[in-house]
Amino acid sequence: MFGYHLKTALKSLRRNPILTALLIGGIALGICVSTAFVTLRHMYTQDPLPGKSDKVFYVRLDSRGKDSPFGGGISSLSSNMAIPDQITFRDAQNLLHSPVPVRQSATYITRVFVYPDPKVARPFQPDIRLCSADFFDMFKMPFQYGGPWTKANDAKPDQVVVIDDATNRKLFGGDNSVGKEIRIGTRQFKIAGVLAPWRPALRLFDLTRNPAGAPEPLYIPFNLHNTIPYQSFGNNSGWKRQPDVTTYEQLIATSERTFIQYWVELPDPKAVGAYGDWLTGYINDQKKIGRFERPVYYRLTTIPDLIQEWNLTPTGVRAMSVVSLLFLAVCSVNLVGILLGKFLARIPEVSVRRALGASRADIFWQHVIECELIGVIGGILGIALSAGILALLARFMQNGEALRLDGEMLITATFLSLVAGAVAGVYPAWRAASVAPAMQLKLQ
Amino acid sequence: MHIGPILRAMKHNRTRVVLIVLEIAMTLAIVTNCINVILAERKKMLQPSGFDDDNIVRLNIRPYAQEFRDDAFIDNIIDQDVRTIESVPGVVAAANTHFQLWEGGGSSTQVFAPGVAHEPVVTQVYYTTKDITQTLGSTVIEGRPFQIGDHGIGHVVDPLTNVIITKSVADLLFDGQPAVGRTIQQGDPTDPSEKPMTVVGVIRDFYNPFGSPTSIAPYSDKAIFQPARNGGFSGGMSYLIRTQPGAMKSVIADVEKRLTAQNSGRIFEFKTTAQKKTEWFSGSKIVVTTMTCIIVTLIAVTTLGLLGLTSLAVSERTKQIGTRRALGATRGDILRYFLVENWLLTTAGLVLGVFGAYAVNFLLVSHVSDVKLQWQLVVGGVILLWVNGLISTIPPAIRAMAVSPSIATRSV
Repeated sequence: MFGYHLKTALKSLRRNPILTALLIGGIALGICVSTAFVTLRHMYTQDPLPGKSDKVFYVRLDSRGKDSPFGGGISSLSSNMAIPDQITFRDAQNLLHSPVPVRQSATYITRVFVYPDPKVARPFQPDIRLCSADFFDMFKMPFQYGGPWTKANDAKPDQVVVIDDATNRKLFGGDNSVGKEIRIGTRQFKIAGVLAPWRPALRLFDLTRNPAGAPEPLYIPFNLHNTIPYQSFGNNSGWKRQPDVTTYEQLIATSERTFIQYWVELPDPKAVGAYGDWLTGYINDQKKIGRFERPVYYRLTTIPDLIQEWNLTPTGVRAMSVVSLLFLAVCSVNLVGILLGKFLARIPEVSVRRALGASRADIFWQHVIECELIGVIGGILGIALSAGILALLARFMQNGEALRLDGEMLITATFLSLVAGAVAGVYPAWRAASVAPAMQLKLQ
Repeated sequence: MHIGPILRAMKHNRTRVVLIVLEIAMTLAIVTNCINVILAERKKMLQPSGFDDDNIVRLNIRPYAQEFRDDAFIDNIIDQDVRTIESVPGVVAAANTHFQLWEGGGSSTQVFAPGVAHEPVVTQVYYTTKDITQTLGSTVIEGRPFQIGDHGIGHVVDPLTNVIITKSVADLLFDGQPAVGRTIQQGDPTDPSEKPMTVVGVIRDFYNPFGSPTSIAPYSDKAIFQPARNGGFSGGMSYLIRTQPGAMKSVIADVEKRLTAQNSGRIFEFKTTAQKKTEWFSGSKIVVTTMTCIIVTLIAVTTLGLLGLTSLAVSERTKQIGTRRALGATRGDILRYFLVENWLLTTAGLVLGVFGAYAVNFLLVSHVSDVKLQWQLVVGGVILLWVNGLISTIPPAIRAMAVSPSIATRSV
């Protein structure tokens, strides 16, 4: 029966090509616009760290002075909940000693010149991220060669480096460069691993500065901070002018400036509780030496919560996805009108078929299938068009590389087009099916 | 014209009534909100910054020669660089500063005025060499610009005693009283080691991003400028250069040539403010373009839909029209009938649409605060769609008018 309905539906669509084109075009337009903007929104709202989003936490501590509460910053928290966006270097060093987290890393970025083989490239000054060995697994960063450095490398610390795919192409032509050395600043670094091409929509591990930016191209052990006076190039925030500090090392060891991001992985709520207790203990210990003058206050925040708290989804994206879905709704309403006209014009034909023995259900399904056919063809066209729109949008976006139709979005688009077809088709089909056979025959 | 018969006729055509009302309502809701978002974005894009944006270029210098590791060398070369840049024909003024135009980011601190009771004020803070106000093209409204002697010979650890602040900082610290000559202090009010600074000038507030484009309040007009050189081996150094109108291109080429001649162990990166502004607003531009496209397509779709639905109504009722004509209704009566009917439906749709517009706006505003729907826009949308409804009714109504009375006598 389905085959027969399909055949009649196709026949009916062919009968009036202009009307059919209009119908399909309308649905395609709606699907195209809504798919494109729902995908754009999805890029920001999808699970940033599949399977781990609720286990990786950003650590913040209120280490400010009694009369210097934190103000400004990027958070949308009310001022009585305000907390510095980052932590101090000395706290980061101390936090690294906590036994509770299964993985943890302090991290920040710096800029140092890299001196490649002069035959290959000129010196360049990339952003370099300092982090711990745990960092790469914590954020599920994919490697193509080698892997993260080891905890032993962290402890010494060794001069090891992880580079990204683009840097590996630039310096080593894309070959396996693990074990080779590059000069960063004045020192030689041994390559521990090469990342696979990787471009998340948001730079998960550092949302404090231009979160839509790309991950850094080079990674070196955090502990090298002690041996190489690297400066932080991220945001810096301070409240206390500190006397008698003359060297950078001293400044780092005693400074109350916050510029370090700190991440922990806690596998379950019990671990979260235990880590909270540990932090409370730590803050109370610090109070004894005159720091942390304010009430005990820390925050452990997951990446999705941080994205929300820091308002990282652009407002336009949210507005556009709502508007585009409404747009699809208008297209559907339009379709109802046109289909109704089309089906009602066909009433004499329907009544003949009814008189010849077609059941109401037959008529109903035949018309619904015709509408779904329009929905599906329009949907396919719309998805193709939206891929074009997305490609266009991506060219103007900093993180456009991460913008694409994935499986989830294809399913959403197909679902939307089926729903649009059904919404637009069910009522007209029902009207067509409720034609009484005798009455219409009499009119003929 | 009696509305009664029209309303009674609608009762028999509920579907069409519902469809038209729904379509108009949704269109109004979408169009007003789209325009609202567009206006909000445009307002951001068009607000004057208070700087001579078109003629300012930023130069970042990234040194790799080892002599730049020496702070004294850096201080020396910064002074030389500024002198060299200012000697280039077409340059109005130049300053070594880490203040950034239209890039987002910067440094912040908190300040207070000793002896004045108030909360510490969180503000941006930047080091700069002497000619910053001339370079930015900002107006000094009280006091004076920096002058020779305000910053000494040292590096960033200069005494920093004379500062220039923006009007909004002055207002917060001194409650509208003159700020020049007053003392301000950075950091913790209880810390005795803080050194006081003297305000020598107040400049007009500017409009320049501080946070990222997505943050809640990306703009801040609160800033303090402290006279000091700013640079280092790993951080490099930045200059702002203001040129005479039209001289930008030649100045960039000339500056690069002369500075390279001075010291070639470094990389030069120029970026004009216009370029940075375009990048900063690229997101807004996408929003404006797509929203405009959506509005245009949506109105086209709605017009076609109304046209289709009214045509359907006319062809369904050809016989009734013929009968009415045969019974004495004039062509004008028929035309008026359809126009009034659609006017009623459009109006009902618009009434519903006004609620819809505010509902959609509520949905959007629940996260964002700066796109509250303006009532003028709703009124504008209502008028637009009224006219649109009228226009899309006229062609089918004219066809209805042309129905001949003899139709009534044909067939059954």
